[in-house]
Amino acid sequence: MDISVLQTLASRNLWGAITPEIMLGCLALLLLVLELLFPKQQHQAVPAAALVGLLCVLSDVLVNFQSAYLGEETFNGLLRHTPGGQIMRVFFLIAAIMVCLLARVSLAKQRMPRVEFYHIVLVVTAAMMLLAQANHLVMLFVALETVTIGLYILVSYYRTSSLTLEAGFKYLVMGALSSSILLFGIVLLYGVAGNPSLPAHTAQSMHYGQLAAFLAANPHNFLASVGIVFVLAGVAFKIGAFPFQIWVPDVYQGAPTPVTAFLAVSSKAVGFTALLALAGTVFASYAWLIAPVLTFFAATTLLFGNLAALTQHNVKRLIGLSGVSHAGFLILGVAAVSRVPMATGAIYFYLFAYLLASFAVFGVMTHLAGPDDADQELDHYAGLSKDHPFLALVLAIGLGSLAGIPPLVGFMGKLFIFIAAFQAGLYGLLAVAILGVVISIYYYFGWIKAAFFETWANSPDAPARPARTPVDFVTGLALGALALSTVILGFYQGPLGAWLTRR
Amino acid sequence: MMTASLNEYVIISALLFCIGFFGVLLRRNTLVVYMSLELMLVASTLALVAFSRFNNTMDGNIFVFFILTVAAAEVAVGLAIIVALFRKRHTVQIDKLDSLKN
Repeated sequence: MDISVLQTLASRNLWGAITPEIMLGCLALLLLVLELLFPKQQHQAVPAAALVGLLCVLSDVLVNFQSAYLGEETFNGLLRHTPGGQIMRVFFLIAAIMVCLLARVSLAKQRMPRVEFYHIVLVVTAAMMLLAQANHLVMLFVALETVTIGLYILVSYYRTSSLTLEAGFKYLVMGALSSSILLFGIVLLYGVAGNPSLPAHTAQSMHYGQLAAFLAANPHNFLASVGIVFVLAGVAFKIGAFPFQIWVPDVYQGAPTPVTAFLAVSSKAVGFTALLALAGTVFASYAWLIAPVLTFFAATTLLFGNLAALTQHNVKRLIGLSGVSHAGFLILGVAAVSRVPMATGAIYFYLFAYLLASFAVFGVMTHLAGPDDADQELDHYAGLSKDHPFLALVLAIGLGSLAGIPPLVGFMGKLFIFIAAFQAGLYGLLAVAILGVVISIYYYFGWIKAAFFETWANSPDAPARPARTPVDFVTGLALGALALSTVILGFYQGPLGAWLTRR
Repeated sequence: MMTASLNEYVIISALLFCIGFFGVLLRRNTLVVYMSLELMLVASTLALVAFSRFNNTMDGNIFVFFILTVAAAEVAVGLAIIVALFRKRHTVQIDKLDSLKN
């Protein structure tokens, strides 16, 4: 090969375009160095360094939000930088900050090495940010695997607990199974799109744009449709869509609470950025296949998530299954994307509303958990409003927003999705979704009722309730900010809402 | 000399994939389940190389390196989890791993 060809190829690697991800990687390595340098008593400096570093990266992304790379493809088409990608970068960074804050509270109750946890959170976050900008199936697969393998470790992090290890093992098998299905789908698409005997075949058959052009020219190819179904099934595992949601309650219960939050918010959002890019644009010409698949996912996921959550007593299982139903609402949005462009913005808005409300609830859960992290029952919330009025208020706002009670941001998120679905003419799914909202109010209010209206019965034979952790200043500030923005964004979406729903 | 056609490679890799898939669903020993998972990855690898050869595009061969790396990382983490689980529970039978429930 001529050296000038290599030079041209290398010149397309615009490293400046992924500065935030590189900064995160360096920060992750820095944490390991700090652990070596500091004496053991000062290891609390490491999470502080992680938080400060994450805030720096977040401000860098926000300052350079309208970056010069927007709309461009870098790294020979592996990445494509879009406003949506920038939004998701901000999303994953905020989520990582909250996970680190919750981990400080949760890890203090365990005898575990601390530093590696933050290290893996940072690496996984960098991979998520790259995935949000992926424009190539290889990039999608490699970034998704970096996320998944990091999460295997995080889920089984409290390795002294056999429940956590069991959850880690279940997540490992299900995660690896879904990755293999996704990979086989990618391989089939690669093979069929490179077939020289078909029209519009391409040498770069894993590139999103080229693949979309090929699929548009061959709208009824059998192998390609099998590949598409496999890829969608692989992604559905990650977002916990029915019938691929079986792992959700067990893994959410066994995983450490900050990791449950990471799974519920970031990992789900990863699935949706991938689904949005694939079902929304690349596979758009296979609407005859995708539309029924997405309709099936949305309807069954909404119904299953809400009905299964009704019977739960363990709050981690409850929030996991309610998360399944939220995935249903988001799939409803994805189903509308091909006909209503505004649905993309509605999905982003819903994800942010879900982020704020979920971390408020998970923050309260982290403070109520005892040394046995899997044991968090609804009964433990009795009398919370008397002992910890602040935590009870944050919990009520978070749960109210998840349920979609009108003045809160969760309501606006659902409203935008419903408007998009209405405009796309998905009336049947809309009816299912409204039914889902009605069911969900029951179990969310059961939780609020436990925190506000029930008192802890001090009977001698009942098992003792785990001690509640007092809220420290930084975590309290963050939880307060989450609750406050949940309320304010519900009343006033401002330019953010207008900008999101315009595209 | 007899040469295999693309169809034969694809059918073999689909068979390997199915063996792996049903192995994961049906086998009761975690290590065998884990081997089945690896078999599914190998099936994809075989199909990639075959497609790459017959379509005359190089991407597939390069992708195989990424898959091998990912599979190695997955095995390292996965076996660590299985060993830790065995030390805690003294079993690797899937039927016995059912303590997470409502």
